[in-house]
Parts: sequence; C-alpha cells; structure tokens
Amino acid sequence: MSETTKTLTLKKTQDCKLPTSVLDAVLTDDETAMIAGCMDGVYRLQFEPHQEELLYRHDSYVSSVGLLRDDQIVSAGYDGGLRWFDVGQRQLLRTTPAHDFWSWDMCVSADRSRIASVTGQYLAGSYKYEPQPETEPSLKVFAAESGELLHQLPHVPSTQAVAISLDNRFVAAGNLMGEVRVFDLDSGQMIANWTTPDFTSWGIIKSHCYLGGIFDLKFTPDSQSLLLCGMGPMRDPMAGNGRQLWQRWDWKKETPTLIDQTHQGQSGEGLMETLAVHPRAEHFAMGGRLRGGDWNLALFDLDSGDRIASAKTGFRITRIQYAADGKSLFVVGTQGQPKPKKDDSPLPPFGRVERYEIG
Amino acid sequence: MNQRSDKSSHCGSPEHAVHRRLFLQGSMASGAASVASFNGLFSIPAAAEQARQQGKKCILLWLCGAPSQFETWDPKPGTSTSGPFRAIPTNLPGTHVSQLMPRCATIMDKLAVIRSMKTEPSEHFQGIDVLTRGDQPRPPFTRPILGSAIAQQLGDLDSPVPQFVLLDPCPEGNEFKAFKSGNWAGWLGAEYGPVRAGGKYSIPNLGRLDSISELDHQDRETLRAFLSRKYENDRRSEAASSHNAAFQRVAGLMSCAPLFDLNKLPPADRERYGPGAFAQHALQARHLIENGSTFVMVANGMPWDNHVFQHEMHQMLVPELDNVLFQLITDLEDRGLLEDTLVIAMGEFGRTPWLNEARGRDHYPNAWSMAMSGAGIRGGVVHGATDKLGRNVVEGHTDNRQLFATIFRALGIQPDEEYDLPGLPTFRRVEDDAKAVEEVLL
Repeated sequence: MSETTKTLTLKKTQDCKLPTSVLDAVLTDDETAMIAGCMDGVYRLQFEPHQEELLYRHDSYVSSVGLLRDDQIVSAGYDGGLRWFDVGQRQLLRTTPAHDFWSWDMCVSADRSRIASVTGQYLAGSYKYEPQPETEPSLKVFAAESGELLHQLPHVPSTQAVAISLDNRFVAAGNLMGEVRVFDLDSGQMIANWTTPDFTSWGIIKSHCYLGGIFDLKFTPDSQSLLLCGMGPMRDPMAGNGRQLWQRWDWKKETPTLIDQTHQGQSGEGLMETLAVHPRAEHFAMGGRLRGGDWNLALFDLDSGDRIASAKTGFRITRIQYAADGKSLFVVGTQGQPKPKKDDSPLPPFGRVERYEIG
Repeated sequence: MNQRSDKSSHCGSPEHAVHRRLFLQGSMASGAASVASFNGLFSIPAAAEQARQQGKKCILLWLCGAPSQFETWDPKPGTSTSGPFRAIPTNLPGTHVSQLMPRCATIMDKLAVIRSMKTEPSEHFQGIDVLTRGDQPRPPFTRPILGSAIAQQLGDLDSPVPQFVLLDPCPEGNEFKAFKSGNWAGWLGAEYGPVRAGGKYSIPNLGRLDSISELDHQDRETLRAFLSRKYENDRRSEAASSHNAAFQRVAGLMSCAPLFDLNKLPPADRERYGPGAFAQHALQARHLIENGSTFVMVANGMPWDNHVFQHEMHQMLVPELDNVLFQLITDLEDRGLLEDTLVIAMGEFGRTPWLNEARGRDHYPNAWSMAMSGAGIRGGVVHGATDKLGRNVVEGHTDNRQLFATIFRALGIQPDEEYDLPGLPTFRRVEDDAKAVEEVLL
C-alpha cells in the first residue's frame, strides 16, 4: 500500500433481516427506507421503526430493483419480466415481458429516464462448452416512463451485468466469458468492446465448461473508466475459491487498457458480486462472498487502488449502496437458506440488510 | 450359479470362431475403416446384425456430481425450495418437470421416473461406488460395476467390439477421478473392465501401418495366431493364452477403431445431439450399441456438483441432458432398438432442497430422482413421491439395491443369483433379496 493512502474503518450501525435472500436493493430518496428485491418478491423495508412490507411478486426470484420518479419503482426478475409499481398507491402499473430467459441484472440511468436489462442463457456451443450465440437480444433499453423498448443490443450469453454512466451517455454490459461491450445510449451504436480472461474459469478438475464471468460493473463518475468485479480463474470452479477480483479499464482508448486491479496481498477468495462508487469519487466499495481470507466487504482508494477498509459481514453480499453524503454504506445480501423443519413451518429470515459508518 | 446366457457364452465353440471369421470377412471385404452402412455411418454389418439378435443392451448416462431433482424430474413450484425455474406440464397428464426439460416433457410416456430414491452415502466416492456397483463395499472383495456385470451376462467376449465402453473426456473429476482409477470389474476379472474413450482418450496405435498392406496384415496375424496357439497347446501355457486373448482384443479394437471416431458420425446427427462433449459421446454410445457393444457409460467428469452457481450451471447442463435423452430415446425407437436397449440417466444422489450461501445446493441422498427408458421398462410411469418441499420420500421408497434389482430384471438378468466365487463368501448380484420396482417394469 502506498504510504500516502489513508485507511478508513467500517463500523456496523444497523442490522435488519428480511424473510428471504435479498438479491438487490435501492435506498429511497430520503434514505428512511429501502426497496429490496428478494427471492419471493419486492419488499419495502422501513428502517426506523423497523417495518417490512411485501409489495408484490414476480413469477420467480427478483434480480434487480430501481427507483424511478414520483414514488415509482421498477423491478426485474428471473421470470424475464420488468414490473413498474407505484409505492405510494401500492399499485402495479405495468408488466413487460422483457426477455425469454432471466433478467440477470437491470439498472436505471442517473436521470431516471432509461432502464437497461441484460439476459442470456448459457447453452453448450462447442465440444469445449463455449457459449452458443444469443437467441434473443442480450441487452435491452427501455424508456422508464412509457416502458417503450428503445434498443435491442447484441452480446454473447450469458450477459450478467449492466451499468449506465452517470452522464447518461453510455451503457456497458459484461458476460460470462469476460467480454465487455459499451454502447452509446442514444444511438445504440457499439463504441467499445474487449475481453478480459481474468474472471472466467474453465473447469479442469470437475467439469469441462465455463463458469464465472463479470458479475458487476460500474462507470467511474467521469465516465472515463469502468470497474469490473467477479472472481479470478479456478481449476475447479465448483470450489468457488477464486481470487476476490476487481479490474479498472480505460475503455475509451482505441484498444481498451487495463489500468489497475486488486493488488497482490489485498484479496482473499470468493465471488465478488457488487461494486459501488463513492458519490464524490473518493473510493469504491466491493462485496460478495467470503470463501477464504478475512473480508467480503472492502473499500478501495479510487486513485491508488489500495484497499483502505475491510469488514467480514458473515453473509454473502449482493448489493452495496453509498448514502448520498458518502458517510455510510448500505449492504444487503443473504445467508444460506435454513432447513425447513416441516413442510408448512415458516423459515427463519435469511435476507440481510446492514448499514456501516465509514470512519 | 452365475451362468452366462447361451448366446453370449464364452465357451470357445466353433460357432463363435465362425462368427469372428464372418465378421472379419464382412468388414475387411470393403476395407475396415470405410465400410458404410445404409445410413452412411461406419458400421460392421455382421456385428450390427448380431447385435440386433443378441439381446439386451444398456446405455448409462452417468450424471456424475449429482444433479438437482428440483431442476429436473421433481420440481416444487411455488415453494421455498423451488429455485428460480418454473415447472412445465408433460404429455403425462398431471406430471410436471422443470422448464429446463421441454423435450423430455414430450416423451414422458416412454420414460419411467423414480422420484423416491433414498440412499445412504452422502459423499461422492461412496455414492459413486454404491450407485455404480449397487451395494456398499465388503472389503476386501470388490463387487463388479454395473457395466462389467451386464457385459459379463449379456456381452460377447469374442466380439471385436468392446462390450463395456466408458466415454468420458475429462481426465480429472475429483472423487470420480479416484474412482476411475480403481478396480471396476472386481472379481469378474479385467476382461470385463471398460475400454475407455472420449476426448483425449482416443485409443492409441490402432491404425495399421501404411507400410503393411491389409493382406500382409492378415497373413501376419494368421501366422502369429498359429504359432501362438501351437505354443499354448504344446506347453499348456496360461501366459500364452492370456497374451492371445489380449492380442485378439487389440485386433478387434483395430478393426472397429472408426467406431470411436466422432468425426465419422453423420454431421446431421451430431448437430441434433448438440455440440457439447457429453452430447457427442451420447451419440457415440448409440453408435457403439448399434454395432455390438453391450454397455456404454457416458460421463463428462463431475459437472453436476454445483455447491456454487447451482442455477447458473443447471441452466446449461439440464437442457443438454434434456436434448440428449430425447434424441437418444427417439433414435433408438426409430431404429427398432429401444425395446432391447435400456437407457438410464442418474447420478450418485440428489441436491439439498435449501440453497446454501454460495448460491448452490449441497449433497442430498434422502430424496432424489432418476429416469429410465427402453428395454423392460414401462414408459409413462412416475414411481414414488417426495413431500411438498422435497425433503423426504413419502411414497415408494427405493434404495440402491431395489434400483439394481429393477435394472437387472429389465435386462432379463436374475437379480438374486449367486456369484460363483470359489473361496469367497456368498455374494449375490443384488443382496438381501431386494425386490425390483414392479411398477416400472413391463
């Protein structure tokens, strides 16, 4: 670590539970509540006093949620659908079948005018199990207000992560094979693509197929570079013991260039599933599952790439969001599903929501 | 006592010598490596005809690592254990399977599914051992694996085509790798062990040298066989006899080497089965069965052990299995072979109803599913049931012994027959008088 890099602390200040795995979440604008996408539906979780309410369901797990204007939210699911919901009126506004397969990830642009969702089923495409080409557009962009389909953009399945730049100009998507494609959000034209081999495993030990890939990506606030996260390659992908990995790419160069990645000695093992960038671009956060090592939530200096804070949450992290003032982090995720004692007995809650003060 | 059937007996009678000669004449007449059958495949007409007459065969799709019953045969829609995939109706009224199996959903009337498997081992090596041999080990004695037992009963050692073939391109496989390096044929002896092929496991040095003509090759073999037999007779040498047997096997392999060449299979068939290694070898299994193999086991390492990325992996593995089963069963039926060919699809146990923190399902032997079709099996049957969440078997409990009794019965092999093992304790093909699952048998 550079001698000038300042270290920080992460102190847990809030701790809530939801009935099932939280797979995505977004803070309401006043930060008194959170909208959580869970295995069994979309919840509104009020922090003080603690109150949880199941707003509605998808036909499968909810993979993503986003905040729109005027108390509206949008969610995406493993049923391939997008759903618009008015939280104030408690009313489902629209259901759009966006994909034939899952929506792996969905995001809303910073100006809340557009929604991007990615899909793609990994099917064997060769003796070595390279993925088959897409059978439906892997990336779709919708108008947030009307639900109109604006763009259908190509990628290679499975396309697992999507992000829109803060200036609302670019949309980027990453896939199983480590390929990133960046499109102009207005024209739909592809303006960059490259492949990083560092997130994908080909099973040597147990299975001759591919596993892993890019699980989240975020533009830096200046839109000049892209952060990617996932897990380093493994001989046995089923072990889940790849290196906790982020990479930062200068995607605007003619040939996109790797700027930096998890520093040696600063990672343990486990799949990293989520990234968040500090509102004033001071640092970024990465979280996921701890397989080996001593952290599954960490902050990294955005300039030096050094790890400046870390914590072990005791559960798999699926989404991190900074508070608007940048002084705290909201972290959601899941523990393992408890074993049901009887067919109809309710399970103890296993979704997790925590808040960490950054000191 | 354990006797082989008359048709496949290894008695050295002149009839079999004639068979062998007919086979060699048939194949060599047109050039062994380029004989084209009616469908354009490399085929050995005499052997294929003999295979048709000979009786029952078996293809085991070995789903090593253990697939999830929830994402295949026993979905639990709308419950906390269901996972993200839907259930879809099948052509069997009231029966649903995972949405990942749309093709098998159309041939459920040809399948028998057991949803009530309950076995003991919860670790791979022990699970593989029990579900391929049929029983727990009784050290120091090694029970033959299913393929060896069936090849010994139904196969023809005189055939140039290997009777037990393992197609598995993955050289590794964790516990399966350890298992593969063990003694498969057990007390039956090495001649009943598998010939392994697939991927890098091409069978080496089977090609005749270009510098030797076919006629020269035959002459040399005739001379070698004559001198060897003379030596064996003059000195009553078991070593020479064993050497002769090995040479015969290699000679047989040489003559049928193209059966192991994926590139010799019709492109349209290869496309139908799908491009993955498992699918390609399932097609190869069909081809081997058509041409005289008795038991072909198709594996692809240990890909089903999804402690992490359960749904991300099953989204790919299950559709491949779905298509392979559909193609295999419809192909065998179209060719008039399904009646005599048993197709089995199973792993060593199932997966937990609950998801772990790593988005995976763990090992679960308490309640799992498998499927069969073809020889001796009644299609359109779903045997047994699990509870609402898939935690326990509530009806039709079936264990490994009962399953093996069912498989042997389907193939016309007596399950409780004693093995003839001088000096060893009493062993039966299936111990403890285990009863077959009558519901799935014709």
